[in-house]
Amino acid sequence: MKRSAGVLRSLVLFFILGSLVFCPVSEGATELSVFAAASMTESMTRVAEEYGKLVPDVTIVYKFRLQRNAETQIEQGAECDLFISAGQKQMNELDVSAGPKVNKTGLDFVKPGTRFNIVSNKVVLIVPKGRNTKGISDFRDVTTDKVSLVALGNSDVPVGQYSEEVYRNIGLWDQMKEMNRITYGSNVKEVLSQVAAAAVDCGVVYGTDAASAADRVEVVAHAPEGSHRPIVYPAAVMRATRKPVEAAAFASFLQSPQCAAIFESYGFSKPGK
Amino acid sequence: MDLFPLYNSLRVAAISTVITFFTGIAAAYYIAKTPRVVKGILDCVLTLPMVLPPTVVGFFLLKTIGPLGPVGSRVLELFGARLVMVWYSAIFATTIVTFPLMYRTARGAFEAFDETLLYSGQTLGLSNTYLFWRVIMPNCRQGILAGTVLAFARALGEYGATTMVTGYIPGRTATISTSVYQFWREGNDALAYRWVAVNLIISAAVLIVVNLLENRYRQPKRAAKDVLSDEEDVVRS
Repeated sequence: MKRSAGVLRSLVLFFILGSLVFCPVSEGATELSVFAAASMTESMTRVAEEYGKLVPDVTIVYKFRLQRNAETQIEQGAECDLFISAGQKQMNELDVSAGPKVNKTGLDFVKPGTRFNIVSNKVVLIVPKGRNTKGISDFRDVTTDKVSLVALGNSDVPVGQYSEEVYRNIGLWDQMKEMNRITYGSNVKEVLSQVAAAAVDCGVVYGTDAASAADRVEVVAHAPEGSHRPIVYPAAVMRATRKPVEAAAFASFLQSPQCAAIFESYGFSKPGK
Repeated sequence: MDLFPLYNSLRVAAISTVITFFTGIAAAYYIAKTPRVVKGILDCVLTLPMVLPPTVVGFFLLKTIGPLGPVGSRVLELFGARLVMVWYSAIFATTIVTFPLMYRTARGAFEAFDETLLYSGQTLGLSNTYLFWRVIMPNCRQGILAGTVLAFARALGEYGATTMVTGYIPGRTATISTSVYQFWREGNDALAYRWVAVNLIISAAVLIVVNLLENRYRQPKRAAKDVLSDEEDVVRS
């Protein structure tokens, strides 16, 4: 009995301490919740650091790595002030002004007039650094003996859609699927990790991801000109935001020359208007 | 509907259950006999995979058996075989994740075992092997059976560690759980539902089999009592 009372007491203490630790500390800072494409992890973290110097009382809280989930979560009412997607498709699904052709469900989450293109990107074929013994050098090599396994993004994430588009355009998609040579990653970082770990022979990612892991992977080919739609990252303030002023301020910071320089240093290019 | 994921899941779960059955029982049997401190340490180490998130197990596995890991690179060099992104990679993952289930339930059973039975057997000059298989195992049957079923069910449903070491390659490494996730992601709810149904049927079937087995095993005890009372009758008459 005595012992169980002690256990109970320490449990109670544990919960009290726990709730103290996890209770939100009010510092007077405004938190801005930004859902961003996984490929922007490094550059957006840098941007938040710079923004913190400029506007210290606003804290940017990111959610990366949930590209399909991001839309689902926003649809289901997750708190998101600014949404940045790696493809127009995902943004169109939330933007009623994009027209009924691309916005089939009529979801209206984008605050009118706040949508803009933030950066653009390239599609590249990568191999594990220093382990390209078979000499993979072209997107077309995936159906040859040089490759037994290629990592692509899943069809529900932008990088997967661009990869499929490239392979459809060079006419190898159906053959690749029949050969069971593709492993599908849930997002671009997973594809990158699989290539970096040499678990696969090659993979298709964005130029920016290849640049971020230049010590582990090697770019062997760029997607042929015109083999995929231009990759433009749209951003927009969400209609449901409770911090419209702060969100708009951050959005305009993202379009400043200072941010353009940051994005370029991570391998992005300026978005074509 | 391509049935490959069903076939793959079943073979992975079956093989890893066989492995954990023997390794789990062996570990439980020998560790139950060790001194308290040793037991505590080993217990902690061997139970870790059960409480760790499967992704941590997957991460360690990738770092060990991946082509750049200490084991994976050697195997690749010697046999030219990759240990990750192939169907049997899932066996490594599920074996590690299910081992503690078998080990812990079996150990519990061994500890509850009435040792006087063992001593009586020894006085009769029975060998240790005989005693283990014919006396200890039948007495610990329920714990061991429960452990085996738990291990099999867990292996069938393992997702985290498996997906990290096998990726998702349709027709090569896809399992039921990775397929459900994939179809959900693709927005292919119809197919996801079908696989969910398959999973439910298998799980229900496993549980029914367990219940039937338990009932069947209870009866011989009654039968044994009947035999005893018959003997008593014989003695009396």
